[in-house]
Amino acid sequence: MLTLYRPGTGWLHRAPAGPKALALLVIVLAVSLMPSTWLAAAVGAGVAVACYLVPRIGLAELGRQIVAVRWIIVVTFGFQVIFLPLESATANTVRVVAAIVIAALLVLTTRVGDLLDAFELGLGGFRRFGLDPARVALVLAVAITTVPVLARIAVGVRESQRARGARAGIRSFVIPFLVVSLKHADDLGDALTARGVA
Amino acid sequence: MTASLVFDDVSVRLGDRLALDSVSLVLDRQRTAVIGANGSGKSTFARVLGGLVAPSGGSVSVFGVDPVRQASAVRRLVGFVFSNPDAQIIMPTVAEDAAFSLRSERLPRAESAERVRLALAEFGLTELADRAAHDLSGGQKQLLALVGAVIRRPQLLIADEPTAFLDARNSRLIADHLLAPTDRSLVLVTHDLDLAQRCDVAVLFEDGRMIGHGDPADIVARYESSLSC
Repeated sequence: MLTLYRPGTGWLHRAPAGPKALALLVIVLAVSLMPSTWLAAAVGAGVAVACYLVPRIGLAELGRQIVAVRWIIVVTFGFQVIFLPLESATANTVRVVAAIVIAALLVLTTRVGDLLDAFELGLGGFRRFGLDPARVALVLAVAITTVPVLARIAVGVRESQRARGARAGIRSFVIPFLVVSLKHADDLGDALTARGVA
Repeated sequence: MTASLVFDDVSVRLGDRLALDSVSLVLDRQRTAVIGANGSGKSTFARVLGGLVAPSGGSVSVFGVDPVRQASAVRRLVGFVFSNPDAQIIMPTVAEDAAFSLRSERLPRAESAERVRLALAEFGLTELADRAAHDLSGGQKQLLALVGAVIRRPQLLIADEPTAFLDARNSRLIADHLLAPTDRSLVLVTHDLDLAQRCDVAVLFEDGRMIGHGDPADIVARYESSLSC
């Protein structure tokens, strides 16, 4: 489930979403721009650990976040170690992972509603160019919420196929998946309209 | 408060099919059940009432408001609950989803939070406020959908087969919430004839036509006799 928010009362949870996003962005940029050295890798890892320890999010949560990106670690390190020295491959992988887990702190400690408010505020200046920040924020929220629904639809389609003895195949999966997903999109559109959005 | 919902010779054409055929009806009772077979026009009737489908002909009035020409006004008057609870969840957590319905009202943050708190308490969802909405049970999701509809304090609540996906216990729970005495009117589209008989008036549809309305016991008996033919 893409609900990453973990309820809490620490200072990072209480911090306003906009400034918190900016501060985390600065830290992520700083980690990302470090050189590809053993020292930089150690500093990147240290910063990530500090970011979870200082606001008392905890190392267990950091561990969960690292496990969640394990395939990114495998792919990033696996490809780089073929073409680059071990030091560069390790430092680059640590920087990427540190940047991801630090950025994750934003959604771990901020409710989606507050994030959307901050997002709307941040995009306010683009109204003059015809952009509707509320609509963009809504699209983001719906996208986040729809991922688990699509996953459930995919499981349902596969189970229906198995129950009817159909052989697994891309085409036999994609067409019913798209049909059910589009029906869901239709229903979601009606629900949004009914809740005063459209 | 009594409903004042007026259908005047309303037809709806969906593709080459007449989903509603010259329906004329005035509803002034608080709780209205809409019954009939699948494809009879019940849901189309509800969607026209809620401004989700525009009639091809005729006119509709919801408390004096035209759902087509005054769409935003009718949104403020009407709350809608659909049968599939999954398709009604917009935000990731229970409290956020409840609060989502209030975003368009631009309420002060404290007032919005208080309305969410009260609504979740009313429907027994307080303990689940921070839970992932999509991880709830079907009954809890439908309760959340109900919260999303009533938190805006609509004058009319339309529920389109709200118990279709639920087990007996959750169906009863949702029905009790829907039929509880309140100031708002209810239009309940349902296949549950026991539920229909708990309403103040019932409307019967067949092949897109409204073929009867009146006392729920009489209308249900008429519908049941048509099933046994």
